[in-house]
Amino acid sequence: MKALILVGGFGTRLRPLTLSVPKPLVDFGNKPMILHQIEALKEVGVTEVVLAINYQPEVMLNFLKDFESKLGIKITCSQETEPLGTAGPLALARDKLADGSGEPFFVLNSDVINEYPFTEIIQFHKSHGGEATIMVTKVDEPSKYGVVVMEEETGKVERFVEKPKGFVGNKINAGIYLLNPSVLDRIELKPTSIEKEVFPRIAADNGLFAMVLPGFWMDIGQPRDYITGLRLYLDSLRKKAPAKLASGTHVLGNVLVHETAVIGEGCLIGPDVAVGPGCVVEAGVRLSRCTVMRGARVKQHACISSSIIGWHSTVGMWARVENMTILGEDVHVCDEVYSNGGVVLPHKEIKSSILKPEIVM
Amino acid sequence: MAGSEQRVVAVILVGGPTKGTRFRPLSLNVPKPLFPIAGQPMVHHPISACRRIPNLVQIYLVGFYEEREFALYVSSISNELRLPVRYLREDKPRGSAGGLYSFRDYIMEDSPSHIVLLNCDVCSSFPLPDMLEAHKKYGGMGTLLVNKVSAESANQFGELVADPETNELLHYTEKPETFVSDLINCGVYIFTPNIFNAIEDVLQQKKDRANLRRISSFEALHSATKALPADYVRLDQDILSPLAGKKELYTYQTLDFWEQIKTPGMSLRCSGLYLSQFRHASPHLLASGDGKRSATIIGDVYIHPSAKVHPTAKIGPNVSISANARIGAGARLIHCIILDDVEIMENAVVIHSIVGWKSTIGKWSRVQGEGDHNAKLGITILGEAVDVEDEVVVVNSIVLPNKTLNVSVQEEIIL
Repeated sequence: MKALILVGGFGTRLRPLTLSVPKPLVDFGNKPMILHQIEALKEVGVTEVVLAINYQPEVMLNFLKDFESKLGIKITCSQETEPLGTAGPLALARDKLADGSGEPFFVLNSDVINEYPFTEIIQFHKSHGGEATIMVTKVDEPSKYGVVVMEEETGKVERFVEKPKGFVGNKINAGIYLLNPSVLDRIELKPTSIEKEVFPRIAADNGLFAMVLPGFWMDIGQPRDYITGLRLYLDSLRKKAPAKLASGTHVLGNVLVHETAVIGEGCLIGPDVAVGPGCVVEAGVRLSRCTVMRGARVKQHACISSSIIGWHSTVGMWARVENMTILGEDVHVCDEVYSNGGVVLPHKEIKSSILKPEIVM
Repeated sequence: MAGSEQRVVAVILVGGPTKGTRFRPLSLNVPKPLFPIAGQPMVHHPISACRRIPNLVQIYLVGFYEEREFALYVSSISNELRLPVRYLREDKPRGSAGGLYSFRDYIMEDSPSHIVLLNCDVCSSFPLPDMLEAHKKYGGMGTLLVNKVSAESANQFGELVADPETNELLHYTEKPETFVSDLINCGVYIFTPNIFNAIEDVLQQKKDRANLRRISSFEALHSATKALPADYVRLDQDILSPLAGKKELYTYQTLDFWEQIKTPGMSLRCSGLYLSQFRHASPHLLASGDGKRSATIIGDVYIHPSAKVHPTAKIGPNVSISANARIGAGARLIHCIILDDVEIMENAVVIHSIVGWKSTIGKWSRVQGEGDHNAKLGITILGEAVDVEDEVVVVNSIVLPNKTLNVSVQEEIIL
């Protein structure tokens, strides 16, 4: 079985992190975002994953070399030379996706994290016999998104309404599709929107069905949602694989600590914290609702909350970092400094406090 | 001394990618030394100045960037000037004097009688031939280019005291807290090869001290300055400062403009200074036009030959337009740098701004800065591939690459 992951884009909303690596390679829960999806696809029997990319192909390709053999799944790239929208990339990767077996293929949006219930999706798709399955998720403010209007019992999709003014429904496109190869015949190799052009036509032919995504869903394309997403992800780990989470007197709530990370004495870590590979958290540190990425060091007595600490950065002794502070790669916050929402570009040293949210270039 | 053996080698320090983050966001796309100022890469201006020195035989660019970042430029400039220009990459930070010393074999290969050392991000008229003559008359080991500035701004630089008669350097101190002098170090030097002996002495002293002294762990934790490795030698503090007053170092004062190009705001200002220098030295490089067959040009303007400017546009003063840019009908550009492949649509206005490569400026949109070259948000900077939609206003903002602005913004940094 095959899958296509729509990677695209410059990931500008996740800057400064995406100034160092392309967005799919930004770590989430201690591993590159895209790895969560690739691993879940492998588990359900996908043998080849095609990444539809248009930015920094060399970096993505290097990453693939490392992971193809480790994971035992074939990973290839399909590179757009001009932006093809949300459907065009499928046409571009046509030859890889339609392998003659007649099997449906997955299409995933790379920014989205969830529980990847791929087995249930395959079952649903078989049972309705339609051309395409789209996963939807319930949200509180549907008017911010495109709403999918569907028949409750069968899941048959009637129409899509982009940013509706009144209430038409509260289910939105979750960015996961399972499509029959015949869908590829509907897509030309040009900039095309899957929601505006392709799906409405399939819906008109009564071939499009929607299933409500069980479990959590989050678009982690921006820092605030990344932090919320981590909480949801760790919650889900607590239910499904609690052994992966850290435990001990220094742990509060759900905390993920990589096996190569070191935590000192007298720390209090959690809730909702991920400490990445090779990180060093020295004695007396308080971490809550934050991510500490690979190779970062948090020095003694520091306190970090609701923030993201980028690769190989350091947070100094007695420093206090909070309120959506995002440190890019190799940023060094000096001892005793306070950062209230500082967004710091890579390779900087913060010597004086940032009292209110500010971008430091 | 034999006149025929007066060969000169120039060394231009270009810095590296993780130093000088002050030049962001432009340095996210291009190494600062290659950023265009008055239509030419920044490093081109000191290189052209060196070329005016008689008997100049070699130019070295020394820095921390990867070789491939400079490969194309170095090969094309060597060709153009018919002069060997070579980029040497420093393997680790050794300080300005340490770096120079580490490449002494290359520098001394041509047995030069004099070595010119310049910092790439200095904007100056570089009076090198006259400075060299003065250096020869003084007969010392080194001559520094100096400039008089306002007393308030002096402490941002190295302040020095010179003998008004002999021009000898009597005292030098780097960024002092209290006022020492309004005469400052411009970052342009001429040395005789003995400079290497002086650096070697300092290196040896540091090595001896490191061997003798055992710093206690208490001292190491509380030392006011970061401990520098033994082979790190700074030119100003470790070489020049101790040699002041020993009849080895002299000064030569520049009476023309002098600025440091540390920020994008300053690159815009310095672009203007070089354009006004072209007005005197090479007016053929500047554009002209009266609105009839070609666009109206006010003041000093540089337009790359491949750029297209509509005759109804009005350009200047202080505008530099790079290759393949397209300026539409009725556009107005004042005090700005327009980089390669930019498209400016009809009736748009750009003032006190830098518009990045491949960006587009929509119809009737307005992109402007206040014009304070030193303030963080004093000019507007659009990174590579930024699209400003029709009628949008962007004031005093910095926009990182690959963004689209469809609403007006003021005083913002957009990542």
